[in-house]
Amino acid sequence: MILVQQFINGLVLGSGYALIALGWTVLLGAARLVNFAHGQLYMLGAFVAWFVMEQAGVPYFVSIPVSVLAVALLGAFMQASMTRLVMEQNLTSLMIVTLGFGYMLTGGAAILFGGAPQTLDSPLQGMAVRTGGVWFTLQDVLILACALVLFAAVWLVLNRTRIGAMVRAIAEDPKLAQLFGINAPLVYLGIFVFEAATVALAATLVAPRTPILTSMGFEEVILTFMIVVLGGIGSVGGSLAAGFGLGMFTAFFGTFVSPAYTTAAAFGFVLVLLSVRPKGLARR
Amino acid sequence: MKDRRERSFRAARAALPFATLALLFFVPEIAGGGSIVYSTCVTIAIFAVMAYGADAILSYLGEVSLGHTIFWAGGGYAAALLSTRLAWDGWLTALAAVVVGVSLAAILGLATLRTREFVFSLVTYAAAIVAFEIVFNWQFLGGSDGVVGIPLLTLTSPVGDFTGGSNEELWPVAYALLALSILFIHRFRRSRLGQEALMAQMNPDLAMGLGVNIQKVRLMVFVLSAVPTALAGWLYAFQRAYVGPDMFEAYFLVFMLTAIILPGRRVLFGPVLGTAIVIVQQTFFSIGGDGDKIILGTLLVLVLIVWPSGLIGAFRFALRRLHR
Repeated sequence: MILVQQFINGLVLGSGYALIALGWTVLLGAARLVNFAHGQLYMLGAFVAWFVMEQAGVPYFVSIPVSVLAVALLGAFMQASMTRLVMEQNLTSLMIVTLGFGYMLTGGAAILFGGAPQTLDSPLQGMAVRTGGVWFTLQDVLILACALVLFAAVWLVLNRTRIGAMVRAIAEDPKLAQLFGINAPLVYLGIFVFEAATVALAATLVAPRTPILTSMGFEEVILTFMIVVLGGIGSVGGSLAAGFGLGMFTAFFGTFVSPAYTTAAAFGFVLVLLSVRPKGLARR
Repeated sequence: MKDRRERSFRAARAALPFATLALLFFVPEIAGGGSIVYSTCVTIAIFAVMAYGADAILSYLGEVSLGHTIFWAGGGYAAALLSTRLAWDGWLTALAAVVVGVSLAAILGLATLRTREFVFSLVTYAAAIVAFEIVFNWQFLGGSDGVVGIPLLTLTSPVGDFTGGSNEELWPVAYALLALSILFIHRFRRSRLGQEALMAQMNPDLAMGLGVNIQKVRLMVFVLSAVPTALAGWLYAFQRAYVGPDMFEAYFLVFMLTAIILPGRRVLFGPVLGTAIVIVQQTFFSIGGDGDKIILGTLLVLVLIVWPSGLIGAFRFALRRLHR
């Protein structure tokens, strides 16, 4: 029975990881951009939701869109300030700039929300389903459902619509795409805002499972990075698979070997894979 | 006549770095001495040495290493564990710090040998977080409490024994380490390896055409870059008499990058200038820990967005304008 339970845990963990990584996957695959403030946007997504629930007393499901909107706006601001670097495709500078943004956000959030751990309260987190010796919460079901729906939607938009074609054209060659009348800065802005919004959404869904801290950003993203590298950089389907894979690994390794060294073990695996197949992982 | 003047001008220019370096030794005294001045100067020297390691990667290889906190902590933990448990002295612990730093860098360097750009950064970053997790959970390394009760730094030599009891006493050691790091980078810039690294960054195709083994160059630079950072961690352990998992904090990472970027990349004295600016702000003009985080992050973002060549670049630009 413990196997089934861990399978369920892995499924939920994995869909959470995949949800958090979705924005990054699109950003990287479609725009070839990086955002090292991703973890801080996750942190903010959770804290903005917590803040409006505490201060304005709004219910959990209202706090979700508020948080998504706030973080999306922040993402728009960040991207707007980086437009020149983005158009130059100056990845080194972009990495450092977003790292700097992340550090600013960590400091700002600590001042705004305080240094104490908080809980984002979702009513679904308290509703547990127990059947045949296994259990899970309705929040878990929500996370899994959202992950599947969002991944399917993103895949469809990228591969089957005109917007997707535009995004893919920009990823291929931004200058050429501009010649064909595509407004590249606008598309980049849209992708970045999408990234910020999805990570905020992921945060509001996943964060109720654990306490939240304003300092969690830098460590929170580690699994996102692994998923992106493992899933074949920028591949939407690959990220979903890698998310589930890592989720299963975390659940089983944590239960049967050692919970403290789960990330280390997963990372060791990624390192070995990278040294064996460095280019096979990257799409280009 | 003109030729001679030109030659003496060049000689003066070549001597300038060494003169500046010699002058740096007297900075604490010129600044008025006192324990706070000495502790600030020692901290600046240590942090600058730490940043010089990352500088070799960022300025000359053109990559962003987010794993240098591993070598920083590696040096610190080597000093802490060996001095408290085996009573090793300063020289031996320094040697151990270098060995630990170089070994860790060789492993990480080999694993990331063929990764570039953000994949390289991602993997080094992930490595740092994983190293943190291991150190935090492994009781043998002190676990989450770290290692306390590090003895005073002692260095025995034929001319006399040295003990670093206060920051004033530590200053000559910190200065020597800083001077060595700057000379190291100075030498590296002119070395074949440094030139090849720069070429591999600017024009990889040309480098390969000229027979440069890019992977070997990258690995060598990465391994070498761990040496100053590990030695900085070594001295930091003795200055604080304590090491802990906090040496992995993102603060040090952002600090290194800011110290390099703020004055401008590929400037010999850049990292020490950048370090001095940030440490002086945090020591004398602090607006609280979280506020200082905002300042540090903002500096980094602003320089890269507004003026990527940094303070020195802006200074040179202004000079050229005035000259016209």
